Amino acid sequence: MTPLVQVENLEKRFDAVRALHGVSFEVEAGEWIAIMGPSGSGKTTLINILGGLDHPTSGRVVVDGMEIGELSERELTRYRSDKIGFVFQQFHLVPYLTALENVMLAQYFHSITDEKEAAEALRRVGLEDRLEHLPAQLSGGEQQRVAIARALINHPKLILADEPTGNLDEENEATILKLLHELHSAGHTILVVTHSQAIGNLADRRVELEHGRLARITLPVR
Amino acid sequence: MFFRIVSDSFARKPRRKALTAAALALGMAVATATLEVALDVGDRLAREFRSLGANLLVTPATDTLPLEIGGVDYRPVDAGAYLPEGELGKLKTIFWRNNIVGFAPFLDVPVEIASPSARGNQVGGAGAHDTAREMLIGTWYSHSVDVPDGSKFVTGVSSTDPWWHVDGRWFSDGAEETLIGAGLAQRKNLRVGDTLTVRSGERAHALAITGIVSTGGREDNAILAPLKVAQDLAGHPNRYRRLLVSALTKPADAFSERDPSKMTPAEYDRWYCSPYIASISHQMQQELPGIEVRAIRQVAEGEGRILTRVGSLMWLVTFAALFAAALAVGATSATTVLERRSEIGLMKALGASRRTVSAFFIAEQLLLALVGGIAGYAIGLELARILGIGIFGMAPTVRWILFPIVLVLAGVVALLGSLMPLERASRVDPAPVLRGE
Ligand SMILES: Nc1ncnc2c1ncn2[C@@H]1O[C@H](COP(=O)(O)OP(=O)(O)OP(=O)(O)O)[C@@H](O)[C@H]1O
Ligand SMILES: [Mg+2]
Repeated sequence: MTPLVQVENLEKRFDAVRALHGVSFEVEAGEWIAIMGPSGSGKTTLINILGGLDHPTSGRVVVDGMEIGELSERELTRYRSDKIGFVFQQFHLVPYLTALENVMLAQYFHSITDEKEAAEALRRVGLEDRLEHLPAQLSGGEQQRVAIARALINHPKLILADEPTGNLDEENEATILKLLHELHSAGHTILVVTHSQAIGNLADRRVELEHGRLARITLPVR
Repeated sequence: MFFRIVSDSFARKPRRKALTAAALALGMAVATATLEVALDVGDRLAREFRSLGANLLVTPATDTLPLEIGGVDYRPVDAGAYLPEGELGKLKTIFWRNNIVGFAPFLDVPVEIASPSARGNQVGGAGAHDTAREMLIGTWYSHSVDVPDGSKFVTGVSSTDPWWHVDGRWFSDGAEETLIGAGLAQRKNLRVGDTLTVRSGERAHALAITGIVSTGGREDNAILAPLKVAQDLAGHPNRYRRLLVSALTKPADAFSERDPSKMTPAEYDRWYCSPYIASISHQMQQELPGIEVRAIRQVAEGEGRILTRVGSLMWLVTFAALFAAALAVGATSATTVLERRSEIGLMKALGASRRTVSAFFIAEQLLLALVGGIAGYAIGLELARILGIGIFGMAPTVRWILFPIVLVLAGVVALLGSLMPLERASRVDPAPVLRGE
């Protein structure tokens, strides 16, 4: 079986800055990967390229049989809505839309909205009674759960989470972790950038970056 | 979902939205008003000249052939027939008296003028003023006529030719004052405030120039003076030679053209009681024997030009107002895009295409245009009313067709104004935005 994600000799430069170079690894479908490394090591850059938000300078990135570097802008847009579910450190919900509408927004960009399904996604993250609340009326942890529901709604091939618990306290972190765990058990492929050893230990493998290079791939210590 | 998002988003930043809508409303108000007026100018031209402008010319029935050169009657003052001024009041006693909007008698006298010697040739020596023959037109500006029923009727050029343009002020009918035609004034270097001496034979008048008149007609090269002055110079007190009457009339039709002497009494009654030019002329002739009445349709070039100029000015103002509104919209929407960069970046990260992002933006702008357009139209109607009263003396007809046009204009302005911000919005790169830059 071909891996879901293949990264080969990936290089990304921002002018003089080499954010990534010589990075190669593969991710099997259903795997949970933790991307770790010190600040500035290129974790976000890697996630953005995998998510079709940024172009690689050179190298090959193939996701679900599609070579990201070759896609046109229009195809990238399609790719993002079809294959990727994003979760960000800053949650990034639309402030004037309710929790339910924020989830439906992703449906809308993907194809058509289905309010029932959106409500069901929010129920899965434990927010069934907060459907009509605006982001400002939700706690950070709750907002991140809305973001996870939004990431899941279009059944993406790949869930990309960039420090999803970076802005949360321990209690909320635990809730999010539990959710990620459930998603993993349900067969989702997850790449999560994290500084947290706890999350790193829950993942199947840890991809460790240092100065834009792949330092090592380790197995969690359980 | 689209509308849900647009309406949710529309409720945000009400202050800025209100500002944009206000800019649009203002632009649309001016556009509505000026368009109303500009469109009305054409209509009004026709109607105005028919209803207010002179449309009947009265001359003595037995007159010598006029010796007219360039519209000026050059017959000697003692040739030809004259009409008595004193009978003019009877015009307001005919059956259709209320349709007689106004009238102005005219008496032309060739005069010699002496230019003020203060200016012109400085050294010239003795008798340094040059003399020349010019035409003096005597008429009423706003004269009170005694009507036989005891009432008074104030009329004159002010009601037959209200669009004559005067720099300065009109003469008063009883004073030794005069208006100089613009062409003549330029030729003879005459100015408001000068005193002009006019001479005919033994008689002379020193007239104070109160204004410069431009009509686009023969008056531009003549001296316009109170009828009394002309009568005195001509030696024909209380006489006039031509009378312009402006009467509200019904357009001619087959019936109006028929010869009243061959009508049945019933037909005659009906004809008599319809305000046709023919029947009004007929009634005038009954009151003022010895006159001949001719219908004239004169939309003098100059008059038309002035109103046409008003019209084109209106178009210019419309354009300027729309342009200003577009600029204002552009400024506010640029701020909006800047502010909402992160939101736009997020939408793109979630898979929104450029077109989808643009559509949200356009929908919001159009919604603003709708609000601004409706408000602007309402304000504009009121503005048009005020403008119309200022220009025509009455409010322009409300044209409902302008409403959709104004809405479309508002939309176009809102979109044109936000074209650049829109382009920027659709090009927002999600990666840096999400990184929090
Ligand atoms: N748009 C950009 N322009 C220039 N340099 C950039 C840009 N984006 C990232 N970089 C640089 O690339 C390197 C990797 O950045 P990246 O954001 O991937 O690090 P990171 O591992 O996510 O760090 P952190 O843990 O702080 O989030 C950094 O040196 C950063 O300054
Ligand atoms: Mg990062």
